[in-house]
Amino acid sequence: MKFEHMQLNNGLDIVAEVNPTAASMAAGFFVRTGSRDETSDVSGVSHFLEHMVFKGTHRRSALDVNRTFDELGANYNAFTNEENTVYFAAVLPEFQAPLVDLLCDIMRPALRKEDFDVEKGVILDEIALYKDQPKFRVYDGLMSAHFQGHPLGNRILGSTESIEALRQEGMQAYFDRRYSPDNITVAGVGNLDFDAFAAQIADLCSSWTPSRTGREHFESHPPRATSVITDRKVSREHIGIMSKAPSCQDDARYAAQILAAIVGDTTGSRLYYALVDPAIADEASMTYSPFDREGVFLTFISSDADRAVEATRIAASEFQTFAESGPTDTELEAAKNKIATGATAKGEQPMGRLTAVGFEWVYMKQYVPLSDDIERLLQVTAEEVVEVARRYDLSARTVLGLGPLESLS
Amino acid sequence: MTLLGQKMPNVSSAAMAIAVPAGAAYDPDDASGAAYVTTEWAFRGAGERDTRALNDALDALGCQRHESVRSRHVLFSSVQLGRNLHDVLRIYADIVRRPGLDDTTFEPARALVLQDLMSLEDEPARKCNLLLYEKFYPFPLGRCIYGTVESLKSMTPTTIREHAAASFSPDGTILAVAGNFEWEQFRDVAAELFGDWSSGSPHPANTRPAQNGVTHVEKESAQTHIALAHPSVPPCDDHYYSARMAEAVLSCGMSGRLFTEVREKRGLAYHVSCCYHSLKDHAGFFTYAGTRPDLAQKTFDVTVLELRRLEEGIEDHELDRARTQLKSALVMQGESTAARSESMISDWYHLRRLRGLKEISEAIDGVSRTDVLEYLRDYPAKDFVVLTLGPQALDTSIISE
Repeated sequence: MKFEHMQLNNGLDIVAEVNPTAASMAAGFFVRTGSRDETSDVSGVSHFLEHMVFKGTHRRSALDVNRTFDELGANYNAFTNEENTVYFAAVLPEFQAPLVDLLCDIMRPALRKEDFDVEKGVILDEIALYKDQPKFRVYDGLMSAHFQGHPLGNRILGSTESIEALRQEGMQAYFDRRYSPDNITVAGVGNLDFDAFAAQIADLCSSWTPSRTGREHFESHPPRATSVITDRKVSREHIGIMSKAPSCQDDARYAAQILAAIVGDTTGSRLYYALVDPAIADEASMTYSPFDREGVFLTFISSDADRAVEATRIAASEFQTFAESGPTDTELEAAKNKIATGATAKGEQPMGRLTAVGFEWVYMKQYVPLSDDIERLLQVTAEEVVEVARRYDLSARTVLGLGPLESLS
Repeated sequence: MTLLGQKMPNVSSAAMAIAVPAGAAYDPDDASGAAYVTTEWAFRGAGERDTRALNDALDALGCQRHESVRSRHVLFSSVQLGRNLHDVLRIYADIVRRPGLDDTTFEPARALVLQDLMSLEDEPARKCNLLLYEKFYPFPLGRCIYGTVESLKSMTPTTIREHAAASFSPDGTILAVAGNFEWEQFRDVAAELFGDWSSGSPHPANTRPAQNGVTHVEKESAQTHIALAHPSVPPCDDHYYSARMAEAVLSCGMSGRLFTEVREKRGLAYHVSCCYHSLKDHAGFFTYAGTRPDLAQKTFDVTVLELRRLEEGIEDHELDRARTQLKSALVMQGESTAARSESMISDWYHLRRLRGLKEISEAIDGVSRTDVLEYLRDYPAKDFVVLTLGPQALDTSIISE
């Protein structure tokens, strides 16, 4: 396993974790832009743009792009979240050069008006798709409520209205500003030839002009409010609970990850025994989501409507008990072992390792070998975990219910 | 009981999968959902351990575990570091051979399955596809694993205990491991744990013909969900690889015909795909599209026409692409210990042998255009079973044209 890094004159970072024993290689463009970087007049543009990147370049039509990925036998996709838009693919090592050529090319899309108009229909359908998913609606609504007045509360998909109103020119201007080489990291993982990888990217991307774009930061002030969206078409009550957590840059993120596993993993956690084991809820889990200088703990519960108030109260009492007494030694060890197994198995495939290597560079400008990452995790003490629970006050939370209920109190 | 193993270099994890022949097809007719309730109940204490001790023991070993109830099997899967494999297997031996199944833990197990059944109402796409399986396959092979409200409510601990005793049996159980482990040691531990396991007497699953036809489920959803299926060949059939090539031409990647025609050219639906799915003796192409209600009719018609157009001809570049995609996917899936353990189970169940990478690769290379077209002549896109879910029923007359 060897780490490589090179930066082009225009600021584009190229990083790689080379593993000659892997059967495949994965590569990805990590663009540091997402819904938090949008203004309200272009709400949803980051995600719409992600779709448009596959719709062709000056060298390739949309069909050419899809066909070339498929001709390489690539396993490929893209995603957009609050702060990143990521394009990634894995192929057999023999297809390294054509894959790099394709990825570099699509990062300068033509954004043709006729493709824009057709794709708008697809985006509107995707918004409809998520309207049928209560869990997504809870996440979306909870982020908006928790990050009221903060750009992390911006909706990733935008709304039907904002997408209908969006114009190609607005997208082009956003692209020119945000897809700047100094705002992008290219990562490679697995069985790849780094010299060839870097030389080809330099050849294809050195002409990109930097815009010196950035990101504004100010602290969020969550309102700690409880609200409900009453929707009788939804069969169960879906509840989301959000509170502050360490950021991507904070060393406490390791302890935060362990805290979330002890309190809310899907097996053997405090919430599991308090809610799922006695069948008060069919789902009760906590995850830790770190962001750029912000972070949240997110608890998700699904229950019969007539037990939702009880379930929410029990979750709150579990948070309080945990903050007061902390984890047992057994819980601490189990959480570490579970996280370590997950990271190990994921890291055994280049595609699984790619996002870890890419995001470590995007957020921290550093490389951490998987073994060091696991080592740091295993060193976390009970005191560090308790410290996170107290410093981030799990009881200071935003709550949102969605389903038949009119109130959660 | 069959043991399968594949040692993989350069990995630390070992993935284990145990397929027990206790799937939903064997649910007693008056107790549908029995397999799922049994699986949920089996984790509530086994051997000497109660619920908490059992789950804590698996967690302490860092298990990433998952259970799924399928047509013929219940599949227990667990990924852990290779050094913990034997300890994990000891716990699973308790779960499948000595589940506690105490009266005190029955009620919450049943209640959770009932809640999962209710949750389907909030997941229309999944509900649509589950209902389609039920209609497409001969009953009870595609039976909904969650049972019904009535069947779940009428179950007693005794019914389920008897069901478990009969169906959790070594005869037909397959245990597969892939990753970082030593075969001889693993084999010895497995022999010690399972060698004296005696057979139960599983109820035979008597099948009756599929229901087929067109069904609409009315729901005030934001999307109309369209699911349709037509027959294909199971993995043991000579035309199997031709079927997989046809599936790849239709729906592999983003240049497949369905994605190109329905989404890329017409912008009708965000999601449209066709997947091959099989049981031992039955298989189908399952096509799904979710779209806004005002575009649903057009989406349905275009999708059916595209499925039909395949038998009119396939281009060389489409076949080449399908070949590369299938072969690359094979190598990349082979890097995952979990994927390998499950594919061994699938091979053994369907073919009674394991296929190597070379064999599959050569078989894919050996499929000609004539082979695919012959397959499509024998299994054309007709005799559709259709299930739609949304605000309005569609005009499906095109399928009988």
